[in-house]
Amino acid sequence: MLNNCLSRRSFLGRSTIGAGVVISGEAAIQLLSTTRVWAAAAQGDLDILNFALTLEYLEADFYAQGNQAGAKLFTDQHAKDLFQLIASDEQAHVQALSDTVTKLGGKPAAKPTVKYPDGTFTDYKAFLKTSKTFEETGVGAYLGQAGSLTDPMLLQAAAGIFGVECRHAALVGKISGLPAEGGIYMGATETAKTKEDVLAAVKPFIGG
Amino acid sequence: MNTDEPFGGEAVLEFDSDAGRRSFLKYAALVGVGATLVACGNSGTSSGSSSSPSGAGSPSAAGDDTSQFGQGDLGILNYALTLEYLEADFYAKGVAAGSSLLGDSLPLIQPIAMHEAAHVQALTQTITGAGGKPATKPTTKYPDGTFTDKMKFLTTASTFEETGVKAYHGQVTRIKDKKVLAAAASIAGVESRHAAILAEILNKKQVPAPVEAHAPSAEVVAAVKPFLGS
Repeated sequence: MLNNCLSRRSFLGRSTIGAGVVISGEAAIQLLSTTRVWAAAAQGDLDILNFALTLEYLEADFYAQGNQAGAKLFTDQHAKDLFQLIASDEQAHVQALSDTVTKLGGKPAAKPTVKYPDGTFTDYKAFLKTSKTFEETGVGAYLGQAGSLTDPMLLQAAAGIFGVECRHAALVGKISGLPAEGGIYMGATETAKTKEDVLAAVKPFIGG
Repeated sequence: MNTDEPFGGEAVLEFDSDAGRRSFLKYAALVGVGATLVACGNSGTSSGSSSSPSGAGSPSAAGDDTSQFGQGDLGILNYALTLEYLEADFYAKGVAAGSSLLGDSLPLIQPIAMHEAAHVQALTQTITGAGGKPATKPTTKYPDGTFTDKMKFLTTASTFEETGVKAYHGQVTRIKDKKVLAAAASIAGVESRHAAILAEILNKKQVPAPVEAHAPSAEVVAAVKPFLGS
């Protein structure tokens, strides 16, 4: 673990990225796709946590902007309440992951710069669609890393976050009026996503 | 660290209330290595070492033993199978009662019934494939009105799902085989979806905490015991 922390530090040291500092989209994509994030997974819990943190940053930003749009975006109180709940969960995930990386001696990934298609925060349907994409991607991303996290405590915590992303995905499916099977539920088992799939899904939102 | 050695499912932080959940942010940074990213304890009960940060790395938490279902991962799988059998039985009866019981919620419940049946089948096959002997279907019993009173049915369903989620998460630190872990996680996530939708129907908090809780087997077994036996 110590070795991982050191290598992680030197990895990030080159880019001198600090927590809370916004990094360019290019750097964020690099962080998500770099082989260090993935290839060293078996001994790279910190890298996995930072990968998850980057995704959570995207989600947290997305919902924060949605909530800011408020009544212009959300047509009823139920939607407003639901997305406030989800926003607070995502922000909690960012905080927990960031703090965990720090406590483990690593350097938390910085918040990526984000961009959204026009209308994302004025067109409720567009917002819902993006929300579903983020949630299902998060579900698949966490599950995809389940076999690679080595610390059992981290794994258990990640499982707890994964389950919350599953809840979000189902709830967003329901409020979107999607079919029960294939919209709210995605089959009898969740499906893991590869790094390529995750990156492809979020890449359009990183940068700017 | 020997990662094959299961160490306890200690909760380091617990959310007993919504206020607690929301103040998560204020003290999310916790104790030493390996324990910062907390798993939330089940409200109400906690394992003996849950309040002790130094508990990280200590032996398995009290009551977190599935040996009554078999040894090692097979025991854990049979523990899960027993819970899935109960859920599958429960939903099969509910769906059989149809719209007279469930009304317009039926389309949201029917897929759950299918999922639970699929979980029973998947776990049975996994156990058999690993050379184990699958647990037999338990006999079940339900309070009067469970399949005639919609609220009663949905409330019981919610209890089963929330219990199931915590049961799976509770075994994460104990599962040795990565394939078993991945399979269990892929099932657990579906239980989470069920739990959220049932909470939504019941107008309850759909996401009880930003990180789902976990529970030791003793607590789970106690929760479902009233439904087992003839």
